[in-house]
Amino acid sequence: MEKGILIAVEGVEGSGRSSHLQGIKKYLEEEGYGVTTIGLQSSQLLGTTLGTVKRELVFQRITLFLAYATDLADQIEYTVKEALNSGFVVLADGYVYTLMAWGLTRGLDRNWINDVLSFAIKPDLAISLVASVSTISRRVIMKKGKIDPLASSIDLCINKDLYASFRIHVKTFQKYLLEISKTYGLKVVKTDRDYEEVHEEIIKYVREALK
Amino acid sequence: MVGHIIAFEGIDGSGKSSQAKLLRDWLEVKGVPVYLTEWNSSEWLHETIKEAKKKNLLTPLTYSLIHATDFADRYEKYILPMYEAGYVVISDRYIYTAYARDSVRGLSIDWVARLYSFAIKPDIVFFIRVTAEEALRRLKENRRKIKPNEAGADVFPDLKPEEGFLKYQGAVLSVYDKLAPTENFYVIDGQRDPKSIQIEIREKVSEILWKKES
Repeated sequence: MEKGILIAVEGVEGSGRSSHLQGIKKYLEEEGYGVTTIGLQSSQLLGTTLGTVKRELVFQRITLFLAYATDLADQIEYTVKEALNSGFVVLADGYVYTLMAWGLTRGLDRNWINDVLSFAIKPDLAISLVASVSTISRRVIMKKGKIDPLASSIDLCINKDLYASFRIHVKTFQKYLLEISKTYGLKVVKTDRDYEEVHEEIIKYVREALK
Repeated sequence: MVGHIIAFEGIDGSGKSSQAKLLRDWLEVKGVPVYLTEWNSSEWLHETIKEAKKKNLLTPLTYSLIHATDFADRYEKYILPMYEAGYVVISDRYIYTAYARDSVRGLSIDWVARLYSFAIKPDIVFFIRVTAEEALRRLKENRRKIKPNEAGADVFPDLKPEEGFLKYQGAVLSVYDKLAPTENFYVIDGQRDPKSIQIEIREKVSEILWKKES
């Protein structure tokens, strides 16, 4: 049987990751592909635990990074490997490059990050979703009703007001993600445009990867 | 003023935990700010790890990463801040336990070392060395049942507990033996009388804590 392919959709919260991933999934299913989805903080091993404790670990960056890495490893070992062997398309809602950018934004050592994440299967296609900080802020507020200080940014900049702090977080994250995209050849897609337009561009990359 | 990190390593049943506790009690009596931390004891991960082992959910990779997460949690929350505040931190098992256990499970020891490279090296590592046979003899003497993790049930699923114990602990011991010279372990023959071992440990620790300022 032909081996499946792994497509990673990377980006900060509010970059359009989940909604565009749904778009890819729908497209692939209509085309007749079997699709499996994974995502950060969704492993059987640690997903739920991480959701409940991460607020208490905001200032323990190494711990949190390793917890995310464990969570990802569990999904790779069980879900991804099996799905690829069965010839499915695996879509990752956040994969190693999102984690890398997360760690770099928080000042973790670049070599250490790369060493730790070296266990991960290389995606056949990785797409970086970026947008302007204002767009991202609006999306996050629209979705959650507020900017959650603990989930997104407070550990980086606790002295400024919430919005200023969030802006710095998103700006730094995306700066690193673009840098990573260059190094590892990710396809960068700007999402602060019409959804369909963005979707078409993404699907173009997906089709190339499926060839 | 920074503190000190004193690590204890050895296979299961070597007696290192009792030695670590005795040292802690002695330092407490002397009025030294001291903190004892054990492997696999982070408040929020402890249960998850236990459950995962019971259900056999861990692969060598996730086994390694989840223990590193546990260590990092204790490291960032307790070990490092206390060390920086001048405490003597006694660590019953330190990063070398992971080097040994993870490499026995087939991971590259270099990768494991890099995974744990964020942790500062201890002032001293007491390696309480007993053979797997001796550790097993002690378990039997105390009529204690061998726990599945002590028998390396995930590594040797087909072996009976006793055989598994000998094989698994033996493999861990041989990694320790390789690490001992390169990582500068202070090797103590664990077959000796526990009291004399503790005396030697206290002498060594005194040297480290109260050596004459030059």
